[in-house]
Amino acid sequence: MTRRHVTALARGTFRETVRDRVFYLVAVFGFLMLASTAVLSPLTVGAQAKIVTDVGLAAMVLLGLLVVVFVGSGMVRKEMEKGTITTILAKPVGRREYLLGKYLGLSLTMAAMLAVMGGMFLLLTLMSPGAFSLRFVAAFYLTFLELAVINAVVVFFSTCVSPVLAAIFTLGVFVVGHLSQSIRDFGRLQEGPLMQHLTTVVYYLTPNLEIFNVRGAVVHGDVIGTPHLVLATLYGACWAALLLLLSGAVFSRRELRG
Amino acid sequence: MTRQVLVENEPLVPAAALIAGSAIPVSRAAQPPALRVADLTKTFRSGFARRRLRGVEGVSFSVGRGEVFALLGHNGAGKTTTIGCLLDLVRPDRGEITLLGCDHRDRRARARIGYLPERPYFFDYLTGRELLEFYCDLLDVPRRERRDRVDGALRRVGMMPDAGRRLGKYSKGMLQRLGLAQALLGEPELLILDEPMSGLDPMGRREVRTLLQELKNQGCTIVLSSHIVPDVEQLADAVGILREGRLVLNERLGALADACAYRVRAAGCLGEAARCGLPPWALSGGGDTAAAQGPADLAAADTQQLRELLDACHAAGLPVLAVEPRRTGLEDLFLRTHEHGTVVHGGKA
Repeated sequence: MTRRHVTALARGTFRETVRDRVFYLVAVFGFLMLASTAVLSPLTVGAQAKIVTDVGLAAMVLLGLLVVVFVGSGMVRKEMEKGTITTILAKPVGRREYLLGKYLGLSLTMAAMLAVMGGMFLLLTLMSPGAFSLRFVAAFYLTFLELAVINAVVVFFSTCVSPVLAAIFTLGVFVVGHLSQSIRDFGRLQEGPLMQHLTTVVYYLTPNLEIFNVRGAVVHGDVIGTPHLVLATLYGACWAALLLLLSGAVFSRRELRG
Repeated sequence: MTRQVLVENEPLVPAAALIAGSAIPVSRAAQPPALRVADLTKTFRSGFARRRLRGVEGVSFSVGRGEVFALLGHNGAGKTTTIGCLLDLVRPDRGEITLLGCDHRDRRARARIGYLPERPYFFDYLTGRELLEFYCDLLDVPRRERRDRVDGALRRVGMMPDAGRRLGKYSKGMLQRLGLAQALLGEPELLILDEPMSGLDPMGRREVRTLLQELKNQGCTIVLSSHIVPDVEQLADAVGILREGRLVLNERLGALADACAYRVRAAGCLGEAARCGLPPWALSGGGDTAAAQGPADLAAADTQQLRELLDACHAAGLPVLAVEPRRTGLEDLFLRTHEHGTVVHGGKA
């Protein structure tokens, strides 16, 4: 694994995605934030700050998810179909290096996008009395971790299925990942062993994305402790590493036609 | 007959010093071949039923250092599959490939190779210069050399004025040139080019041909696939013709040029020639013996037959008006191998 190759691939992916009008979604975010402040604030007397925070953080996750799923699902496949990948892999570049570079490039795009959206969000909360809190930074960080895991999921699917299927499967993992604890609890309430085993398997096969969801805590002013941040970081890193290793194993067996 | 071959930076060497008619001086020929492919076989699985599709089967050839080897074949003949296997993009079922003395899966070998795909497509939102800088990083070109390498490659393919434009705005021909520039970035010892003239206008084709000739003169080994026969004839030292995944011909172009047939024009019509007892094989060049009027066109496959035919004409009292040598062109051979579909060796179908 050569750092220079991975860095070059990540930088190339970052440039490509940033110039591919991805940042227009940031404008959508700004519009959503302003609209939520203007429309919902008069309806929620005394809870304006909570509304702004809740809508803002949810919009960041959803817009980030859109970018990861729709850019990530076609990223590797498009290069395979158009043949760009052949000129890259005909150089002394390993297939795992290629995947890691692509993953880091898209993660970098996410980080930049979240930074811009976060800046806009903080600006708006500063204008809403009593809304600003340093907990927001922790929420941004956890949102980034969640999207980094989803990014690894989409890279994995994009190495084995078509872009459309990769997008559908990744959205499925996002939904199940947020419901995995509930699915497990539901299974425990069942009497049949089959259902119990099935829900346990689903729980362990999908990342528990609720660990990254601190919107409720931020809105209600609860403390987000350092142990939670450390645990979430380790959890996200393990899932991303596992998925990238799997992607590498699948991708190294693929036939790439010029 | 003494033939001499000019190789840049090396003195003229007599043909005796060349190996088996190859344009490789002894010093180069002593090195292992730049590319050796032995018994390459690849079958693809297709569709829900996993139907087997033959990519290539039992393909073997080797390319000496400094040679230009052309793979000819119709679409789907197995050219791109062969090239994919060379670059470890496609995993062969069987066979052995050695690139510049290394196994083809060895990444060190790939640092010494330049590759141009059939339809080069790059990142739409990067500029030409940014793309080449990106490839420099992948080739581990030292940073201080990067600018010179990029400028050199751009200049070589005539893309310097457009280096600052985004690739999404490039025409097909411009992408082809840029593809060639990225292939040249690493100063490769072996160039693998899949349809390098595709998408180029006549001017562009001539420029690329000149560039490839220059590279050949500098000692670069070139493997190219094409179905544009005149380009191959001008560039290649040796040619391999693929048909339905099998290498049906593997021959040096020099040997093909030596194979020569003759057309003999004699006074009198074909019917008269037939009645005079000329050998039947000689009449194959003139059509229907009963109907043909005017001078008779007779055919001889080689110099031995030519001698026999001239003797027969003389004996029959038929005046010979002209003898015209007819070289077996690569195009004739290409078409013949595809019509017959049999394994051909030594340029004879």
